[in-house]
Amino acid sequence: MATRKAMLIDIKLCIGCLSCETACKQLHGFSTDPEPTLSDTAFTVVESRGGKFVRKVCLHCEEPACSSACPVGAISKSGLGPVVYNADKCIGCRYCMLACPYSVPRYQWTKLAPFVKKCDLCAERIKAGGQPACTEACPVQASIFGNRDELMAAAWKRIRSDSSYVPRIYGLEEAGGASVFFVSDIPFENLGFKPAPTGNQPMPTLTASALGDSPKVVIMGGTILSALYWVTQRRREVALAEAEETDAPNKISDERS
Amino acid sequence: MVARIKSALTLWRVIVAIIFGAGIYATYVRFLVGFRASTNLSDQMPWGLWVGLGTLCGIGLSAAGFGISAAVYLLGMERYRPILRASILISFLGYMTVCVGYLYEIGLPWRFWHPIVMWNRASVLFDVCVCIMTYTTVLTFEFAPAVIEKLPWKRLRETILHFHRKILIGVVLAGVLLSSMHQSYLGGLYLIARGKVHPLWYSQYMHAMFYLSAIPAGLALVVMAIYLSMRSLNVHIDFSILSDCGRMIQLLLIVFVFFRVLDLVANGAWGYAFQRTSEAGYFWLEMALLPAIPIFLLSHQSVRSNPERLYWSCAIVVAGFMVNRLNVSINALQSAMGTHYVPKWTELASSVLVIAAGVIAFRYAVIHLDIFPKLPKAGAKPFTRWMSNGGLPAQA
Repeated sequence: MATRKAMLIDIKLCIGCLSCETACKQLHGFSTDPEPTLSDTAFTVVESRGGKFVRKVCLHCEEPACSSACPVGAISKSGLGPVVYNADKCIGCRYCMLACPYSVPRYQWTKLAPFVKKCDLCAERIKAGGQPACTEACPVQASIFGNRDELMAAAWKRIRSDSSYVPRIYGLEEAGGASVFFVSDIPFENLGFKPAPTGNQPMPTLTASALGDSPKVVIMGGTILSALYWVTQRRREVALAEAEETDAPNKISDERS
Repeated sequence: MVARIKSALTLWRVIVAIIFGAGIYATYVRFLVGFRASTNLSDQMPWGLWVGLGTLCGIGLSAAGFGISAAVYLLGMERYRPILRASILISFLGYMTVCVGYLYEIGLPWRFWHPIVMWNRASVLFDVCVCIMTYTTVLTFEFAPAVIEKLPWKRLRETILHFHRKILIGVVLAGVLLSSMHQSYLGGLYLIARGKVHPLWYSQYMHAMFYLSAIPAGLALVVMAIYLSMRSLNVHIDFSILSDCGRMIQLLLIVFVFFRVLDLVANGAWGYAFQRTSEAGYFWLEMALLPAIPIFLLSHQSVRSNPERLYWSCAIVVAGFMVNRLNVSINALQSAMGTHYVPKWTELASSVLVIAAGVIAFRYAVIHLDIFPKLPKAGAKPFTRWMSNGGLPAQA
């Protein structure tokens, strides 16, 4: 298996220059005007929160909710780490948008043939051995790209060597872990980071138990219903036979007379 | 000429014309201009009225087809046979409206067939799609005799009906299982949105809640439809069957409210009901309309045996059910998504168009097909409508 890649975003280092945003927009051929929040033409934005600059971007979960939710399997976790979208499969149901715990996917509401839009961690570029446009553009190493395990070690190193950091990597365990990590010198709660709805459990576990029950329900339900039908039929037969029995003597007496 | 036009202009015809005019315009905007022009959906509210009203209410209120066919075919409750065909027809048309609504909902409607060939077993929505497609086929099969028996060719008719009878029980059984699955999976759709759905509605047993509430609501819709058929389409049916349905609805609602409250208490969400939030308000509206008021009303013999009172009790059940589904699909999501969604009029107009088409189809089916048992005495006086016909079984 290919080495898992990841991205580390250091909120302490970010200077809010928007280079990542602009680089992303240029790569995708969008207008480079900054946007206040994620959109179908802004796959990453730098938001100002609590006096800090916080990048919003797809976290590329290890076990993505969007991918489990998609009815046609248009979203998948690739071997290198990016969660990628196959526009050829998508039917536009938008269930991925409802499922994503971070509300990342965006929709082309104005188009007649609309698709889902989100960051794909520049999957094509990393496959070719490169790095995403945003990390390449970052002038202060606030967003860096690398192998997942090495980045994790680097993040812990930053936290250990500088006591101003919050001793926590957001994205390491949230909802089963992600491929985008955040470190910060301000508690994540104060920056608008919500705890993952499932804690450290992957999101797809929420539906797995309900879906896993379906074969049981079919087998049990089928058996019970068949049994009930059998009882109903049996009753009917018995009632019919009894009716014939009681009718029989009358018939004989009818013939005699 | 003017007089003729005037006499053709009844109130209902005007209403239908308005519904169709508005609906066709809304359809044009949806398919030729796009989502932005036809809906108030947004990245914060990707699913709105079409899912809440069209799909969740459409499927839920069509639950009677499998309920009554299970009762008659599998449990031998012959008493309900006279309303069997009507229930199957209502379910069939309900599922048809959902299938049409599906084309409005998805962004790329020409790819409607993708879930048939592209599978994702981990997706609740995939299971819902497959179950609904299969069950619509089952309903078509269950309803087919009503059309086939009108065929003019005797040999063909009898061959098909003979074959139909042979596999009917198997199909009914499959239909009951499929329905049980997707009625609950519609609630299961929201399981993955933990943290987004308000705690008054989110529970790991949401799918069970959807299942338990769909059956009484589906029955209530059947009672309403039959009452209206009796009033305006000269249908005669033993009214005591509908009274019994009323009792059944009451019992099913008691079961539902028992588990709903148990679930709320077990999740520790009960406290949210007493906060001063709009969610709490919607919650109490739902609790009043879906279980509380109908359970109270239907516990009275005087309500159950009076057609008009029974009708209005069932109307409250259906309204409460719709409040519940819209609560889950819209109101429960708004605060977590930081948005306020009010559907655009074109969203409502296109939903109403599809529903109206279903209602009109029901009317024509009742007039031209043998949906209800034929009574020996045709053209009975109005008051004999409610009289018992001795439970004469219909041929279904």
